Amino acid sequence: MKVTLKDIGKKYEGREEFTLKNIDLEIEDKDFCVILGPSGCGKTTLLRMIAGLNSITEGDLLFNDKRMNKVPSKDRDIAMVFQSYALYPHMTVYDNMAFSLSMRKERKKIINDRVMEAAELLQIKEYLYSKPSDISGGQRQRVALGRAMVRNPAVFLMDEPLSNLDAKLREHMRVELVRLHKSLGTTSIYVTHDQTEAMTMASKIVLMNDGKIQQAGVPDEFYNKPANIFVAKFIGSPTMNIVEGKMIKGKFVSNDELIIITPSLHDTERLLAFEGKSVSVGIRPERFESGGEFGDTFKAKIDVIEMLGKEKILHVRLKNDSELIISTPGHYKYVENEEHSFGFDVESIHFFDTETGLRINK
Amino acid sequence: MKWFKKKNKLYLSDKQPLSTLGMIGLALSYVVLITWVIAILWPLFQMVVSAFNGKQEQYLMLNDNFEFSFEHFKYLFNETLYLTWVKNTIFIASSTAILTLTIVSFTGFAYSRYRFKGRKASLMAIMLIQTIPTFAGITAYFTMHSIIGSLAPWFSRQMMLILIYSGGGIAGNTFILKGYIDSISTELDDAARIDGCSSMQVYRLIIMPIAKPMLAIIALWSFIGPFMDYLLPRVLLTNPKSFTLAAGLFTLISDFRTLNQPAFAAGGLLTAVPIVILFIVLQKQLVSGLAQGSVKG
Repeated sequence: MKVTLKDIGKKYEGREEFTLKNIDLEIEDKDFCVILGPSGCGKTTLLRMIAGLNSITEGDLLFNDKRMNKVPSKDRDIAMVFQSYALYPHMTVYDNMAFSLSMRKERKKIINDRVMEAAELLQIKEYLYSKPSDISGGQRQRVALGRAMVRNPAVFLMDEPLSNLDAKLREHMRVELVRLHKSLGTTSIYVTHDQTEAMTMASKIVLMNDGKIQQAGVPDEFYNKPANIFVAKFIGSPTMNIVEGKMIKGKFVSNDELIIITPSLHDTERLLAFEGKSVSVGIRPERFESGGEFGDTFKAKIDVIEMLGKEKILHVRLKNDSELIISTPGHYKYVENEEHSFGFDVESIHFFDTETGLRINK
Repeated sequence: MKWFKKKNKLYLSDKQPLSTLGMIGLALSYVVLITWVIAILWPLFQMVVSAFNGKQEQYLMLNDNFEFSFEHFKYLFNETLYLTWVKNTIFIASSTAILTLTIVSFTGFAYSRYRFKGRKASLMAIMLIQTIPTFAGITAYFTMHSIIGSLAPWFSRQMMLILIYSGGGIAGNTFILKGYIDSISTELDDAARIDGCSSMQVYRLIIMPIAKPMLAIIALWSFIGPFMDYLLPRVLLTNPKSFTLAAGLFTLISDFRTLNQPAFAAGGLLTAVPIVILFIVLQKQLVSGLAQGSVKG
């Protein structure tokens, strides 16, 4: 089912400001859409509005061109997985999964078949008759998924379903969720604050901040073509380096004049309009060239080295003590307090307008 | 001795070993506790003994003469209106419990889950009203009863009593149940709504089963209340046939014409039976903590 949000806004009772405003979004059928954002950006509110748990103040919510604003949750043909799983504690796993179908007065035989089918798929058959309090966190997570699955909904909503699991299990469930989505083909909307989850699972990411959509698109775009400084800093770990400066005679000069970059040819064209204006440069930590025999280089002292095995993260300081983060292959040798010169991969430099934060180069 | 030694070798408690002063303190606490237990159990024991002692006459005597007999129970059943009183009390108590439970279910759930105008103010009002003793309203109750009674003659004084008891219970228990339901995650409500529940069903199918321990306690309290209260029935009920147990039994020790203290003891003993039965029935609910495991623990 296709989900369309048209100019949606939300204002909570008793609040001065709109929590969400002018949200326009199209989620295609069978998409796995991840709504990503820092806490408090309104992503859960948005999901709850799609679910019908919160009212929609303005705008339209369409499911396949049908307006859903006033339709109660139970009639929206959706299923939701909650952060706390929200399993009914007084019911067995089986009853939990069967609950929604029995509320719809489905025949016992059909309920049983569907529950068994879901249990089989999620491998939770062994503890179908235990209470939620008797099973582990990972198992509860599966039950919560199963409960949503048996309904065979048109839209799957998930609100940070993996945030209560430990790191290993989370990694495992991530893959499993993708697999599940592939086999069921249900349109899914998934809310998270974890960029790894977003990058690995999504077929479409929506990054939100301050109640607005910052960028929407495929994961690749987010990493390689961030639309503004916020997106650039939010996606990627370690965080992208942002250096503020000015365009002087077609070259980027940082405010402290320690970093000078000559833009690549196709960037120069777009940067013409910014001659003499404030511009920020974003460089991914892995896009520095060490050694730096050619092009623009800068000297920096290595402050701290983080050894991660396949890579080394260098925290370097320029002469005026400003810090940059550089990632290099793990087998390169560096010593702390060593002075080093680094260059840039000019093709991968992101230019942003400092004032608006918007991306300049294509 | 072998066992003793083995125990001594390994100190398994998580607490630090007691010092001499600690030992004395511990001994003192035990002395206090044991005295306390005796202070509570001795009168009870005397009551039980006297109730079965055929040697006791009109007045209770504490002496060694004992002869097992059901004489006082016979007196209670044949000479007094004891069974009527039991019937009255159980009627009043269970009506109170049912009424309180039903209304508190609604109010507690509403106060916990809904935001509406005057929510805070009315909660505060409930709190403040609690501080006024029920008995202070006695004249109002009389007036109210005479007004309602003139409109609806079937409205008996017992019904008035039920309304007074449950009225008092609803206020305080709303507060308690609200607090309990507040601790249940609202995500459960959301999940139930998406699964197709109406507000009533959310309460009946999800919240109520989880709040069962609290509801059991509320039921127990409102049930016990009428058994314990003497003042209101004594003032409000005038006909001995409509007395509750407390008011009725009191005539056995207050009025010279009907004085019979051992029978009073026997009656007191029997009074405990319904409460004990209810307690045993509700025991499982009272001790279980069902809310565990609903949300990741």
